[in-house]
Amino acid sequence: MKAEVTINGARHVVDIDDDTPLLWILRDRLNLTGTKFGCGVGVCGACTVLENGEAVRSCQVPGSELHGRSFTTIEGLSPDGTHPCQRSWLEEDVAQCGFCQPGMIMTACALLKRKPDPSDADIDQTMSESVCRCGTYPRMRTAIRRAAVAMRGHET
Amino acid sequence: MITTRRNFLRTAAAGGASLIIGFDRLGLIKAATAPTGSAFQPSSWLRIDPDGVVSLTIGKSEMGQGVRTSLAMLLADELDADWARIKLVQAKPTKGSDLGTGGSDSIRSGWKPLRKAGAAAREMLATAAAATWQVERNTCTTGDGAVVHGATGRKIAYGDLVSDAAKLAVPENAPLKTAAEFRFIGKRTRRIDGHDIVTGRARYGIDVKVPNMLYASLERPACAGAVVAVMHEDRARAVHGVRNIIKLPGGGIAVVADSTWAAIKGRAALAVEWSSAPKDAFDSDAHLQRLEAASRETGFITRKEEPPAETGAVTQTLEATYHYPFYAHAPVETMNCVADVRDGRCTIWAPTQAPERLQHRVGELLGISPDNVEVNITLIGGGFGRRLGVDYAVEAAAISRAAKAPVQLLWSRADDMKHGHFQAASVHYLSAGFDAAGAPVAWKHTKAGSFHNISPLDPKETRDAGWYQDWSWGAYDVPYAFPGIQTAYVAVDLPVKHGPWRAVFAPSSVFAREGFIDEVAHVRQADPLAFRLEMLRGADVIKAGTTTVDRRRLRRVLETVRDQSGWGVKLPEGRGRGVACNAYFGHTYIAYVVDVALGMDGALRVERVVAAVDCGVVVNPIGVEQQMEGGIIWGISSALKGEITFRNGAAQQSTFADFAVARMRDAPAIDIHIIESAETEPFGLGEPPVPPIVPAITNAIFAATGKRVRRLPVRPELFRAAS
Repeated sequence: MKAEVTINGARHVVDIDDDTPLLWILRDRLNLTGTKFGCGVGVCGACTVLENGEAVRSCQVPGSELHGRSFTTIEGLSPDGTHPCQRSWLEEDVAQCGFCQPGMIMTACALLKRKPDPSDADIDQTMSESVCRCGTYPRMRTAIRRAAVAMRGHET
Repeated sequence: MITTRRNFLRTAAAGGASLIIGFDRLGLIKAATAPTGSAFQPSSWLRIDPDGVVSLTIGKSEMGQGVRTSLAMLLADELDADWARIKLVQAKPTKGSDLGTGGSDSIRSGWKPLRKAGAAAREMLATAAAATWQVERNTCTTGDGAVVHGATGRKIAYGDLVSDAAKLAVPENAPLKTAAEFRFIGKRTRRIDGHDIVTGRARYGIDVKVPNMLYASLERPACAGAVVAVMHEDRARAVHGVRNIIKLPGGGIAVVADSTWAAIKGRAALAVEWSSAPKDAFDSDAHLQRLEAASRETGFITRKEEPPAETGAVTQTLEATYHYPFYAHAPVETMNCVADVRDGRCTIWAPTQAPERLQHRVGELLGISPDNVEVNITLIGGGFGRRLGVDYAVEAAAISRAAKAPVQLLWSRADDMKHGHFQAASVHYLSAGFDAAGAPVAWKHTKAGSFHNISPLDPKETRDAGWYQDWSWGAYDVPYAFPGIQTAYVAVDLPVKHGPWRAVFAPSSVFAREGFIDEVAHVRQADPLAFRLEMLRGADVIKAGTTTVDRRRLRRVLETVRDQSGWGVKLPEGRGRGVACNAYFGHTYIAYVVDVALGMDGALRVERVVAAVDCGVVVNPIGVEQQMEGGIIWGISSALKGEITFRNGAAQQSTFADFAVARMRDAPAIDIHIIESAETEPFGLGEPPVPPIVPAITNAIFAATGKRVRRLPVRPELFRAAS
């Protein structure tokens, strides 16, 4: 089947099997490898992308449901890595191996869109859907609070 | 881009303008254009180009320990480099190289060579500038990538000096800076590759694409010796995009396809059913029983200290048995490898910690020299020792050979959980003897465990006490001053794959040792932290087996967590505070005070960790904090989350649901105190934070509940029943 899908603002027509998950379209067809495979069953969060600002697990979106939809991946989050979440991630020295971090950053972006001033419980609840084996959780918490402040300041 | 020695030399010959220095792990340095003798095989390179860019080619794998940043800092400091112009290049293994990354060794092994290379280059650049200006060398200083003549305010950038500097002999003993002169070492330094990570540009093994690459998924025998009972090859071949189905020598069935998804689907369509497991197939419960029985044997004595004659006779004995389970590494990036076998050669792209082992194993498989296996080391999405094994690369090479194409093999999450080289289970039998006055006078710790089997043991090695100590870190090197000490090791055969896992043999032994010393303190009705300090009295420096332990450093980290945690304050009902400490190989000293809270549902939460660490010279404080935090959270996973169990020869867990790991909600508040060390060298910190955190947690659980945890992971049911 042919699906027309918009990724990071660019329209793509991809010829795929209807069950091909968005994750593998991004990685194998469009060479957008910033979106990671970690489990394939939607429990680790490494493949998280944004759709209308909401977090979506790209391994759980089949090709048959893609037509006409628009997604943002880590590569398209900002032109030069200056999204408040990306900046706060660097300022708080979050990453260790970094592999889960694109998914974590996208998850945090969606949280902050939904809740611009999240409580610690909101942060823990949302981010606990994802796995970081290096243990960057304490720094992610701080980075999300920092990004929230930066984003609210930006809006006013 | 990967730069080899040959490329370096070619560039140097063609341009003739770059300053290139090769060096090895012993710190031998030579200009690249110097004639190479067999005695000098550089594995690392420093190159400064006319545009001022400093390229550092090193073999250490980056897997989250920040090694690219911290090693670059060592070089930059002595070179007085401009940090913004440093570029890291990944070395490839060459004949006789030893690029492996493990044992918390990167900073230790890089400390001298990188500084010597930087100092030599700085000396050459300053000498070249002095010659240009016709002034004395000692009137020139260096800083931010330039040589400065203070008296006249003249300045030449390094890039403009490399052509002249390259003509000079490499000084063998250029002076190194004193600690007071360090400009990078000890300073909080951001990750050199941080921007790549947050923008998704960082390329891990899984992200490698080579022209005409095919994708493979591999179905492995469910347990050792299993054969295919039912398989639907026709259905797999009918999947769109499936190219080939390959039966591997080890019994696996590989599906090779045009895309990752087609390979995954094709493998599912195969719907392989394996022959049922033999009656005696491996079972972890039965294995733990064997270990427990073995822990009562005398075993090989790894350390024995007879009590002095005046020591009181033992009139009372306390004993306990500690059980330690199997764990998976479960890095978020599953095992993967790209292999391209052709024309008697093999090219590999792999997230690996052991490139030379990989060369040898793939060479063995293909019947070619290891020198004909080219290894491109990629970024690693979590190592933790798992990628010291090279099984996934050997599989990829076997598939590529049969498919006659470059192939990327990607393990599923279930593959990764079920076919790891696991942290092996062990059982520890401990006893303490008290004299008639109640004084602790004897300590005994017998570990029943298993030798690693991911690489064959050398049968020619002498199996002396030192050799056995290597399998029982944290047991033989007990730092406490018991007049009589006996530690022993009993080897129990373990047929499933097992190998190094973060901190290797120490976590099990330290869990048992630090739990049991708490039990001894309890019998003595002593405060467990004060009791440890009391038991660290006597000689400041002791020889424990092959390890030297500096008790002053251990006392200091304990005193620091005591003072910083508010130790001794009574906590409310349902809360408890525990302590544990460890000297990792006598190198890195860590103590923790942990607060836990028991929920109404029996769930335990680690609320706060106060840590003190003495790792010698601190290169990057951010790196120290990250490794400490990561090690603490790793320990929370192993104390409170998942374990691997085996039935019918197979691991039963396959996802992050049934092998749970800590999530953000499990992360405590962490307060780290870095000791200003008296040491003049840095020690490692990837592994050392792990061993003492688990017993600090279980000791806190005892303080909160009165229940002694001697079996991991902790089960909430244990506490639900009590309430």
